[in-house]
Amino acid sequence: MEIFLQLLITGILVGSIYALVALGWTLIYKCSGVLNLAMGELTLIGAYVCLTFYHWGIPFVLALFFTLVIGFILGILTEIIFLRPMVGEPHLAVIMVTVGLAFFFKGLVMLIWGTDTVVFSPPVFPIQPVFLGKVVVGQVFLWAFVASIILLVAFVSFFKFTKWGLSMQATADDEMAALSLGVNAKVVYALAWAIAFMAAGVGGTLLGNINGLNISVGYLGLLVLPAVVLGGLNSIPGAIVGGLVIGILQNLADGYLSRFTPGGVKEVFPFAVMVIVLLFKPYGLWGWVRIERV
Amino acid sequence: MSYRPCGNYHQYYKQDHAWWQTKFVWGKMILLFIAVFYLFPQFAGMYLISIANVVGYTILSAMGVQLLIGYCGQVTLGHAAFLAMGAYTCTLLMLQLHIPYPIAMVMGGIVGGLWSVLFGLPSARVKGFYLIMTTMAAQFLTVEFFITQYVSQIGGRGVAFSIPPGAVKIGPWMIKDDKDVYYLMVILVVLLTVIMANLVRSKIGRAWIAIRDNDIAAETMGVNIVLYKLLAFFVAGFFGGIAGAFWVTSLAAVSPEHFHFGWSLWLVGVILIGGVGSIHGTIFGALFMTLIPEGLKFLIFVLTQNPVFVDIMPFLPLLLEKFLFVKEAAFGLAIALFLIYEPNGISYRWWQIKNYFNLWPFSY
Amino acid sequence: MRIKMVIAISFILCFFSSLALSQEVRVGALQDTTGATSDVGKDEALGVREATQYFNDTGGINGKRIRLFQYDYGYRVPEAITTYKRFRDYDKVVMVLGWGTGDTEALSPTINADKMPYLSSSFSGHLCDPKKTPYNFVYGTDYSTNARGAITYWFEEVWKKDPKWKELRDKGTKPKFVCFIDTASPYATAPIKAIKDQATILGFDIGPDQNVSLFALDTKSQVIAAKGFGANLVWHGNTTMSVSAAVKDASALGLGADHIVNNWGFDENLPKLGGPAAEGVIGLLGCALFIDEYPAKSRVIEYAKKLNPGIPLENRLIRTVQGWVKVGMAVEAMKKADKAGKLNGPGIKDAFETFKDWPGLKEYGGQLVTLTPTDHRYSSIVRVARVIKGKPQTIGEIDMKAKFPDRWAGWLGW
Repeated sequence: MEIFLQLLITGILVGSIYALVALGWTLIYKCSGVLNLAMGELTLIGAYVCLTFYHWGIPFVLALFFTLVIGFILGILTEIIFLRPMVGEPHLAVIMVTVGLAFFFKGLVMLIWGTDTVVFSPPVFPIQPVFLGKVVVGQVFLWAFVASIILLVAFVSFFKFTKWGLSMQATADDEMAALSLGVNAKVVYALAWAIAFMAAGVGGTLLGNINGLNISVGYLGLLVLPAVVLGGLNSIPGAIVGGLVIGILQNLADGYLSRFTPGGVKEVFPFAVMVIVLLFKPYGLWGWVRIERV
Repeated sequence: MSYRPCGNYHQYYKQDHAWWQTKFVWGKMILLFIAVFYLFPQFAGMYLISIANVVGYTILSAMGVQLLIGYCGQVTLGHAAFLAMGAYTCTLLMLQLHIPYPIAMVMGGIVGGLWSVLFGLPSARVKGFYLIMTTMAAQFLTVEFFITQYVSQIGGRGVAFSIPPGAVKIGPWMIKDDKDVYYLMVILVVLLTVIMANLVRSKIGRAWIAIRDNDIAAETMGVNIVLYKLLAFFVAGFFGGIAGAFWVTSLAAVSPEHFHFGWSLWLVGVILIGGVGSIHGTIFGALFMTLIPEGLKFLIFVLTQNPVFVDIMPFLPLLLEKFLFVKEAAFGLAIALFLIYEPNGISYRWWQIKNYFNLWPFSY
Repeated sequence: MRIKMVIAISFILCFFSSLALSQEVRVGALQDTTGATSDVGKDEALGVREATQYFNDTGGINGKRIRLFQYDYGYRVPEAITTYKRFRDYDKVVMVLGWGTGDTEALSPTINADKMPYLSSSFSGHLCDPKKTPYNFVYGTDYSTNARGAITYWFEEVWKKDPKWKELRDKGTKPKFVCFIDTASPYATAPIKAIKDQATILGFDIGPDQNVSLFALDTKSQVIAAKGFGANLVWHGNTTMSVSAAVKDASALGLGADHIVNNWGFDENLPKLGGPAAEGVIGLLGCALFIDEYPAKSRVIEYAKKLNPGIPLENRLIRTVQGWVKVGMAVEAMKKADKAGKLNGPGIKDAFETFKDWPGLKEYGGQLVTLTPTDHRYSSIVRVARVIKGKPQTIGEIDMKAKFPDRWAGWLGW
């Protein structure tokens, strides 16, 4: 029971970071219909930028803020240079452009920062574990969780209560109608990428704080996909729940199932769950069911 | 759409459907065959032949992807899984049960096809992005889990299966160096291209194209879409399995790393760059996607290893890894920019150039 | 236009120059500077290059220059295979300095057929049986012997003596033992069979293996599972990156076990990445640390400064010294083969097999090397170190051949 609780809580804490990145992903998909396979590289860039600022001696909170700013700028640039010319092209070609971007960003990251593991030094969060009852939790995780929740709330309220958030929702709902009501779709697309970059950057930074940072943080970009599919591609609450569920499932699977296999359950279990869910709910848990007419 | 020189007219439908419709095309194709079967292996060095083998392997693997995406409209991001199933089935049969290579290869193809159908089953219910996700799951479940953790542990420890030299032979023909592999590759490429081209101009192919263009409309026209979708998955998986089983011949060992997710993405890139819905496109794409990185790599090796450069600029070898990263970034950028500026692929450009010469000087 | 001319001329020059230098010995080196083991591979690549330069400056192979081809293969078996073919067909090398376990084991039937001596940085015990892999050589105590030695040392020096385990020891419980390995990596799984055999001999209670990827940054669930088992001793079979993550998680989650790390996961970087969590971690060393005192230190540092002035010396690791060991051993074998007039594959193999208590590696803190046509295990001495005050320090050596004389012969090829 204790182990179960321990795994569950670890899962929730890690899952909150996944949720944050998944949110950014869903946003791009919702607003512009782009299935972004470069999400992992966005997290990498964000994490390394923050680390660099931090190592320059800038306080962590400020470094994180600068990371957000850089993420915002990079997001807009990426959208303008690479994605805007692809508006109206077949979906598959757009996906492939994001694959090209993934190669490009990854090459850049390795060129600039190398492939070694780097750690935030001095550590941002104290390393002594905290006890929640009988469950031991690293402080990093707790803070990461808090930060993710704050950001999730911030993003969700941005959508609900600001003009730009509302116009993004409107574009996602029906682009034509939104355009006719005077929403500037170009700005909305750019904004979606900017926010995705920012969310990914924070997610990457938080992950990097846990045990250090290397190229494998980019694997998160693939893990996000089962999370968003589970929730339904165009549902923001779905992305958040999906992220949490994937975090929990991963940890539980590794704790309980890995003894029956030679290994590797942790990495593939989210995908297995995703396929099973898709067989029963082809549009995820909360995705829009599309009705097609000929 | 193609234009014939004047004076050529068709009396029968058969002529209309012929692949090579004029004497000129016949001559061209015969020259191509001579070049491919005799001139190239005779005069190109080992290095070029090994690159040609990679191109051939890419063509073979991308053919199934072209079928699924280009002709049937079922997007797959997990094709490497089916290649892996083919390669591993073939290797296991050869090494553990000592089954002759040609039979093992066909078995590999069949297993690849069945495996593909298994993961194609959801296509009956899901489509679009959700189908992409399912095929991606196929990739991770098959290669990262099933093959890495179970299959590759068969017969002792280790993740890579070593294939002792001389293990692969077709009858008396032992496939031992790159030249033998090259001949096998050319034969397979021609064979698969013929099969593919015939499939897509038959009833089956027309059904696939109908599904691609609009599956609901196809269903109302009486096409059994589940059957044809699964058939497409089977044939694509079979091609993949054959490709995987072929690649075994040129390797000293087969490991799960040959079939990682990047390779699946790569194959989709091949057909997108070559041109979706075109068999030519597969070949052009394979050439582009193999030759560009290989050229970059060659340049890097010359810069970092050649004594002339190294003596002049002794810091160059130390930049090797930086160069490799630049190469990766440059290649990613090339894909993105190519798709932005040439979204129809190379085969469209090829078609334009051909028409330009056919219609020259009055192209209107 | 002028640029094109320059490019064209330089290309022509390249081809001619490669023809012109004939009095040279071509050696291929596979390195990982970008892949999963690049954390240790980059530094070794530098060491190999510097050592080659040194041997060229001091006369090469009896007057012949060594021409080194160093390619990165990103720790991917497919890339290793194509690069090996390139070495064989295009660069025409006489021997190969290999890297990983997966690729070396995968290539071993092929190099056998090609009669290509292959000195690899993978010390897998499977490569030490000349009956199966006659052309494979290693330049360190093999993983299996190392692993056996390390847990034997721990059992005798720590479990039986350390006050930390007094309570459990007095109760008479068996030590509980868990392996943290990347189950998909041949490097990590190579010594597992041997270590479990040894653990059974010593009477340990063996728990389920935990799969930790070479790139892992999050190992919480694995540590929790080990904690659920109540592990007292953890074997880390990966490289420094993931070992440091696992050690940190173990400390964050209060695992409380002792750690033993295989030699490619234990170097100066471990305390840097692991911080206080790495204190007290036991590990295996193949030779001297870069910062240790050893006879060849001045030479190593001189060449490090001369060839790679851009890399600060405090960032250099034991891997540099391992690069020197690797090249040193290869050069010695090639010299012997050349003297015998057989500077080719079989000649170099035979030269390797005449090594008897060869002291050349003592300069780098290595062991006396003995290789015979029936046994390619380089030495039976296991060197154990421990992180004390943020620095790995040697705490003892254990000679497995002397300790288990009746079993030693049977351990060949494990």
